[in-house]
Amino acid sequence: MSDRPVREAENRLERFNADREKLLAEVERRVVAHRVAQSKAGGDLSLEYVLNDVAYNEIKRLDQKGNGAADRWKDLSRRLLGMNEEEKTSELRSLVHYYGKDVVGNFDARVYKFATGIGPSILGFVFNPITSLREGMNTLRNLDARISADGDLDVVRACAERGTIVVTPTHSSNMDSPAIGFGLLRAGLPPVTYGAGKNLFSNPFISFFMRNLGAYRVDRRLRFELYKDVLKEYSTVLLEHGYHSLFFPGGTRNRSNILEKHLKLGLLGTTVTAFKNNVREGTPNKRIYIVPVTINYRLVLEAETLIADYLAEAGKNRFIITDDEFSRVGRIVEFFRKILVHEGSVVVRFGRPLDVFGNDITDDGESIDRAGRIVDPATFIRGADGEVTDDDQRDAEYTRALGRRLAAAYPRLTVFHSTNLVARALYDSIAKSAGTRDIYRLLRAPAGILGVKASDVLAELVRLRERIAQNPAWGAEHPQYMDQSAEEKLEDAIRGLGTYHTRPAVVRQGDILQVDDVKLLYYYQNRTAHIPPEGAA
Amino acid sequence: MSATRGSTIGIVGAGTFGTALGSVLARAGKRVILWSRDTAIVDSIQKSRRCPRLPEAPLPEPLEATADPKRLATEARFLVLAVSSTDVRDRSRELGDVLDGSHIVVHAIGALAAPNNDRVSEVMSLGLPTLKVGCIAGPALPEDLVTGAFASMVCASAFDEVVAEARRLLNAPPALRVYGSRDLAGVELASALAGAYTIALGLCDGLKLGAGPRAVLITRAIAESSRLGGALGADAKTFSGLAGLGNLLVRSASSKSADYILGKRIADGIMTADAARTEGARACAAGDALARKHKIRMPLLSGVAAVLAGKIDPKDAAKIAGEAVASEE
Repeated sequence: MSDRPVREAENRLERFNADREKLLAEVERRVVAHRVAQSKAGGDLSLEYVLNDVAYNEIKRLDQKGNGAADRWKDLSRRLLGMNEEEKTSELRSLVHYYGKDVVGNFDARVYKFATGIGPSILGFVFNPITSLREGMNTLRNLDARISADGDLDVVRACAERGTIVVTPTHSSNMDSPAIGFGLLRAGLPPVTYGAGKNLFSNPFISFFMRNLGAYRVDRRLRFELYKDVLKEYSTVLLEHGYHSLFFPGGTRNRSNILEKHLKLGLLGTTVTAFKNNVREGTPNKRIYIVPVTINYRLVLEAETLIADYLAEAGKNRFIITDDEFSRVGRIVEFFRKILVHEGSVVVRFGRPLDVFGNDITDDGESIDRAGRIVDPATFIRGADGEVTDDDQRDAEYTRALGRRLAAAYPRLTVFHSTNLVARALYDSIAKSAGTRDIYRLLRAPAGILGVKASDVLAELVRLRERIAQNPAWGAEHPQYMDQSAEEKLEDAIRGLGTYHTRPAVVRQGDILQVDDVKLLYYYQNRTAHIPPEGAA
Repeated sequence: MSATRGSTIGIVGAGTFGTALGSVLARAGKRVILWSRDTAIVDSIQKSRRCPRLPEAPLPEPLEATADPKRLATEARFLVLAVSSTDVRDRSRELGDVLDGSHIVVHAIGALAAPNNDRVSEVMSLGLPTLKVGCIAGPALPEDLVTGAFASMVCASAFDEVVAEARRLLNAPPALRVYGSRDLAGVELASALAGAYTIALGLCDGLKLGAGPRAVLITRAIAESSRLGGALGADAKTFSGLAGLGNLLVRSASSKSADYILGKRIADGIMTADAARTEGARACAAGDALARKHKIRMPLLSGVAAVLAGKIDPKDAAKIAGEAVASEE
């Protein structure tokens, strides 16, 4: 059982600021010790190589700015050849400290109280400056109802009380961070710390809240190994100290809206390391739990940019997008005013937690193997004589196993909004008359093909809903709208798809549903892409 | 016993292969615990240092036999599962009750598991708590292990630790050498399908088709099994390695291979009840089903499956194979 008595899930981030310097010092100590130990092997692992890697990448990144920003790194590059090992170690320590400071988060209990006290709609207030105060306050109260949270909440709460949880949601939008924040609040779960792209901090409103509610900064432009060391060690230390965390295992925002299958395992791997360190420190019952979560939007703020990027050149999409809807305050205002007025427009669904090796758990957090037996997770990292062993390849393989389990959990946790269901039914109808499901062919299809009889789509929709009801492994309809008739579902979706985006994705002309934006239709139907076409095996 | 736990090899199953492996390892001075559910076999080994299933194999100390799975789990971290493919599910569950996440389990079963034609490691994983599983396969016949002739196997696992431990513990040169691979799916499939193609070679030799057709059969067997492997995420090269080609060559040269004997008997017109009972026959049916499922063209395997099912005469199968249109190699 747990090292400490089970109690209400506490907000551990409240003690974060007091811990911060200690955590940073620990990160610094470990990264420097690890790098110095590795450097004995020489070659690519030598300190000279590590420091040069930093200098080279920073010069490459900063030199084009031409404002002397790269001077520090040029100086380092020049001095490097004349440095002895002691000086290199000292330089390494100072760099680790520098990047650690850049990464580290903050938690301001007053900001948290303000954000959660006035209502989880604080962002709406911030982003809606043109409404009067009274209107604004009314909107705020209503917004609270727009985000709902459900799923295996009791088990997740038990895990948050017993150990440390790592929330791992699907990632569709920059609105995910506030959405999951409110989702946690509504679920009676404590706030989490998470790494957010540094580009997000350029939005002053969002930045204020992220900075003060436990987010730490991840600068994805820094590609050198030392920075990754700092990030991973920071995450590891946070987990060891019991700070609930959040990773988006899909990495960047999902461009296609197809449920993530191939997960990025870098930060996820820190869960195994942190658990291993706990076991080594003699606290094997300080468990770490991975919670699969889906964030399901009726409409996605950045849908147009994301799908355009996905289709522009499959496989060569941009890694960091900085000029999307999220960067334009006007679009965010639209998002809040037009999208979130719809009740239940965001559903955050929490799945059953797993241990760091991808094992299922019992209701009170004990690991169980695939035959249903309780297993001691500490044995997974022990050697023949019970000693804790280090093996990076083994741990990476464990993390891959965890990643496979997470990816497998997402479909079942998917919540289908009317927009997804109708887009799929419509896409299926068009695909039938065009004789192909290939999006690139459909993008070139004549307008005639893109007009479908509403009755045909309704028939497709009815069958699709029946198939989903029979296959819970594919996900489920939005719980609030299960009783909607197919016609109501259709009207609701058309209203949604015609409300927010630059141009309506679908319009109804009498009995004909005309698709005006195939890309958007494809984007919304992609949420059902794991459901095989009707009649397929 | 914890001091020697890391250097003890547990073998699950005192059949011919398990016993032969235990024999070669014990003769190399390695500590082996041979587990059998059959207490008569355990008694026999303890008293006479011989196993009734393979009496020609000497089983010197430090080999010990036990029917107690707890003892096996406590005294050995590294285990070799050497049972029939039909027993994998039950034995894995039974072992799972006494193992934990630190154990390493490799299997030596050249077959696919019924009823879904899963790879053996996949079935094992359903019953075992540990994720560290692997497979050993290759030209290491029991008779060669017993006589100490050169034998080699490959151990495959996604975990480098599993491969490293298999190489450390099972290497007993010159009698047995163990290579390593990360291509677990490839080694398992290659090994299983080698049994099926051994039946084909038995048929070929029984029908006295000659050296040319024999060579064609072997090379085409490797080609088509590589295609199936590729579709299932395996590395095509694995099929021309120890688990694939190596296994096929050695089994088809052994007068004791049940699969080879089966092929020859069918060629002689003796269609026996054994037709569905060898590991190769089971692998043939499983491989054929997988090929259909993944739409992979495997004319040789399909032909042998049809012969085993009694759907076509072996002579007709050879004729059909000979008349098949050749495409790019």
